[in-house]
Amino acid sequence: MDERIALTVSGQEQTAAGVLDVGGELARSLYVHVPFCFHKCHYCDFYSVVDSGDRQGEFTDRLIEELRFVSRFAAPLETVFVGGGTPTLLGVAHWRRLLVALGECFDCSLILSGDGEFTVECNPETASAELMDALVAGGVNRVSVGAQSFDERHLKTLERWHDPASVGRALGICAAAGIGRRSLDLIYAIPGQTLGEWEEDLEIALSVDSGLEHMSCYALTYEAGTAMTARFERGEFESAPEELEAAMYRRTVERLGEAGLARYEVSNFARGDAGRSRHNLAYWRNASWLAAGPAAAGHVRAGASGGWRWKNVPNVRVWMAGVAASGGASPVIDVEGPDRARALCERIMMGIRIDEGLEFEGFLEEAGRLGVGAAMAAAVEEQVGLGLVVVEGGRVRLTDEGFLFADGVAGALMGAVG
Amino acid sequence: MTIPIENIRNFSIIAHIDHGKSTLADRLLQSTLAVSEREAREQLLDSMDLERERGITIKASAVTVEHQFEGKMFMLNFIDTPGHVDFTYEVSRALTACEGAVLVVDSTQGVEAQTVANAYLAIEQDLEIIPVVNKLDLPSAQPEEVALEIEQVLGINTDDCIFCSAKTGEGITELLDGICRLLPPPREQVTDKTRALIFDSIYDDYRGVVVFVRVFDGRLTVGDKIRMMGIGRTFTITELGKHRPKREKVKSLGAGETGYVVAAIKTLKDVRVGDTITIDHSPAEEALPGYEEPRQMVFCDFYPSSGGGEGGKGAEFDTLRDAVERLSLNDASFTFAPVHSDALGFGFRCGFLGLLHMEIVQERLEREGGVEIIQTAPTVSYQVKRTNGDIIDVTNPADLPDAGEIDELREPIVKVEIVVPMEYIGDIMGLCGDRRGIYKSQMFVSETRQILTYEMPLAEIIYDFYDKLKSITRGYGTMDYEMIGFHADRLVRLDILVNGVSVEALCLIAHRDTAEKRGRAILTKLRKAIPRHQFEVPLQIAIGGKIIARETIKAMRKNVTAKCYGGDVSRKRKLLEKQKKGKKRMKNIGSVEVPQEAFLAVLEQGE
Ligand SMILES: Nc1nc2c(ncn2[C@@H]2O[C@H](COP(=O)(O)OP(=O)(O)O)[C@@H](O)[C@H]2O)c(=O)[nH]1
Ligand code: SF4
Repeated sequence: MDERIALTVSGQEQTAAGVLDVGGELARSLYVHVPFCFHKCHYCDFYSVVDSGDRQGEFTDRLIEELRFVSRFAAPLETVFVGGGTPTLLGVAHWRRLLVALGECFDCSLILSGDGEFTVECNPETASAELMDALVAGGVNRVSVGAQSFDERHLKTLERWHDPASVGRALGICAAAGIGRRSLDLIYAIPGQTLGEWEEDLEIALSVDSGLEHMSCYALTYEAGTAMTARFERGEFESAPEELEAAMYRRTVERLGEAGLARYEVSNFARGDAGRSRHNLAYWRNASWLAAGPAAAGHVRAGASGGWRWKNVPNVRVWMAGVAASGGASPVIDVEGPDRARALCERIMMGIRIDEGLEFEGFLEEAGRLGVGAAMAAAVEEQVGLGLVVVEGGRVRLTDEGFLFADGVAGALMGAVG
Repeated sequence: MTIPIENIRNFSIIAHIDHGKSTLADRLLQSTLAVSEREAREQLLDSMDLERERGITIKASAVTVEHQFEGKMFMLNFIDTPGHVDFTYEVSRALTACEGAVLVVDSTQGVEAQTVANAYLAIEQDLEIIPVVNKLDLPSAQPEEVALEIEQVLGINTDDCIFCSAKTGEGITELLDGICRLLPPPREQVTDKTRALIFDSIYDDYRGVVVFVRVFDGRLTVGDKIRMMGIGRTFTITELGKHRPKREKVKSLGAGETGYVVAAIKTLKDVRVGDTITIDHSPAEEALPGYEEPRQMVFCDFYPSSGGGEGGKGAEFDTLRDAVERLSLNDASFTFAPVHSDALGFGFRCGFLGLLHMEIVQERLEREGGVEIIQTAPTVSYQVKRTNGDIIDVTNPADLPDAGEIDELREPIVKVEIVVPMEYIGDIMGLCGDRRGIYKSQMFVSETRQILTYEMPLAEIIYDFYDKLKSITRGYGTMDYEMIGFHADRLVRLDILVNGVSVEALCLIAHRDTAEKRGRAILTKLRKAIPRHQFEVPLQIAIGGKIIARETIKAMRKNVTAKCYGGDVSRKRKLLEKQKKGKKRMKNIGSVEVPQEAFLAVLEQGE
């Protein structure tokens, strides 16, 4: 069946080459997707396949080919992020080859000198000293560890298989290997979870690694097509009440703030500016980045009229076949070409999520160019009136209350674009 | 070849919905070789898509076929009738042009409410009735029992009852022969002056208005200058013809015949169904007995779903106006007048014959006119006797004068006939009682079914009465209703306040005793229909300025996507755009966004 998809995709001949060859700006960021997991967690809607171990070699070969191809469109890299799936499931030998190739194809001088950021997502159970040493040797200087919860009962609800104790162990291994920048992911508003239990999770997270400089805390989201959503719709459990979820969020901001981890994006907290994820900030600031690996999405700006967006085909086999056939360019889907109005909407939608917000003059000017300046000014004023945003120091940003209504604010401002 | 008047038969087929009227009509046309099988399948008499989809015939039209019987050629003029409660008037129009009726009853269902109502209409017109028991081919057919029902309930002699299957064609020749043998020929002419009855009219983009007539006396000829006796206007006939069922022009139409007239008539408003056509230079002294124009009994507002509310009329309003005007060319029984509401902007207050008529019009406007419509809850037409003695019609509850100025508030009353299986009688009587029905009579249709007659306010059945009847009786109950007059009662106006603002479009008139219960049910529906806002939204019901019930929509606590990274941009943007589109269908009442469903919440009565 996969073969048939491959034929269809190669038949339509839309590959990353077609998108990248249009002369956009050179990207300073790179996202690499490693699609293997032990098992599919029930809440997860990332593209991943259960690893059978036999495809890793071929996958790595193809990934290296793709990296070689996309590197032509890169400036010296400032950030690299390897996500998944479970990147740490890739064998050490494959990782070594991958890192060598990365260093050969791209200008990684900024990263190697410590001025750049190279993050790898890490599953707590697969963090070995050997692997971490290899990563550090290849320039990795940041890890993001997926803890999700420290309560076995809640991990079970999520169908997330790891021993909570492994989180501290993994962070320790990373620290010992010399990875100075460490982040932890947590999920809250899990069915049945109380505010007290969530506070407990936060306490454990804050004590598990004294060098932790970053945390991401996500409200559980019922994504379409996941097992979690299907169970919810079957009525197996109730979702957390809105009031509780909001209270958990408020508590998170408060508690992490006390601990020196300040919110800089809706769900992200960091110790000082240096602790922020530069790679993710590139997304929120609507910068350009390249994509490698199945299901990886990319964005390349092309002048004032916005940029190109695309997604590599979310199917390992089709991706491998496509990359092999084209000499490195992945088949792509969901391609969107430059469109000024769309670009402004994306700028609003992403930019409003970070604490620095949007540069007011700049985005108002762009709205004016699209003929909706007055509507935009009115929309901002309305949100100010509702107490959801403030305009200060030439920037529009969410208030504390506004962070809980970021979608409503984004929707209202996007509504002004038409 | 001319056919002598004694060999002409004018008749209609009448039936309860789904008993096989259209299928039988197709069969008759096909058997007289007027239509090929394929054409037959397309059910020629129903011309509009929408009607075909719903299986309802709305517009009457006439078809002429020939049939050989006992060595003589007969001309059969088959006049189609609509088949639903709202169109009783149209049925009676069509019947006036006939001498006979074919009453079709499904042999698996028996006599139903519309069978009774339609049969009575035919009896009132003194028509000869041929009972036909249809669907003989079905294993569950009970032809003998059904014939007995016809005899017992309707008092129609079934000696000449015809048993047939419109599906297989069994019994069709017998029916054609029966029409020739049993139905009377057109009556003798009573004057040599021409008199033709208009029983229907339709609008045609190419020819203007096409008028369907039955000539009773004299003759109509192409080139004649004709006069409409009721409205007094004159026109010159440019075309005469018949549908066989394909259109076929003729030079003249003589007494006893049925056909169509084209006379450069521009709009349906220039023609009144029931009017008599005569010849201008030699007019008849007296018009044929006419009949009343149908009355619009159900009213609601249509607004364009976007634009409007903020002041300007906007392009959407223009589109709606065009669509309404175009539709009114085709449907003279629907009325409209411009309205403005603070909440909904500019729109039209429209009048309909009944609920089904309203639904059909709304669908046609959306489909043919390309407008999305917000429709307010329907209301009936009330009569107010003011303290100064004046009597006014109120078709919009918001227009009701102050309580102090009202001497009497009257509402339309209908006679409802309901046919139900015995086991549901109790529940249906309960339902009718809840709806302020006054019991009139009860009669056996068969051993297992009864026919109940109630007098009831129309306002009580335009809500969900029909749905309730169907659900209580598991689909077996049927009903029909007929206007019988206006009646004064203790009626009050119910105001609905959203966030403290009274919403005109939600205001309604209810009986004092049930107003509070009604109001509470509406609030519950509104609470569910209006999405949470960033602030608390109170909903209130007021009678005469006094708040009698309250509910609150709790404030929204959060509206934010937890995870949003590089790969989520396109998807997330599309999601927000979709929400934005949804908002377009909402209306702002103060700072509250109210979706269309909320306006319909008052349509259904709560449990
Ligand atoms: N088996 C069978 N079905 C029939 C017969 N006559 C009509 N029907 C079916 O009954 C349904 C309603 O018929 P239709 O002619 O549309 O009814 P109308 O609403 O009275 O015009 C349709 O599905 C027909 O196919 C018949 O003689 N035998
Ligand atoms: S949550 Fe992470 S580990 Fe679980 S299935 Fe998704 S990508 Fe794999």
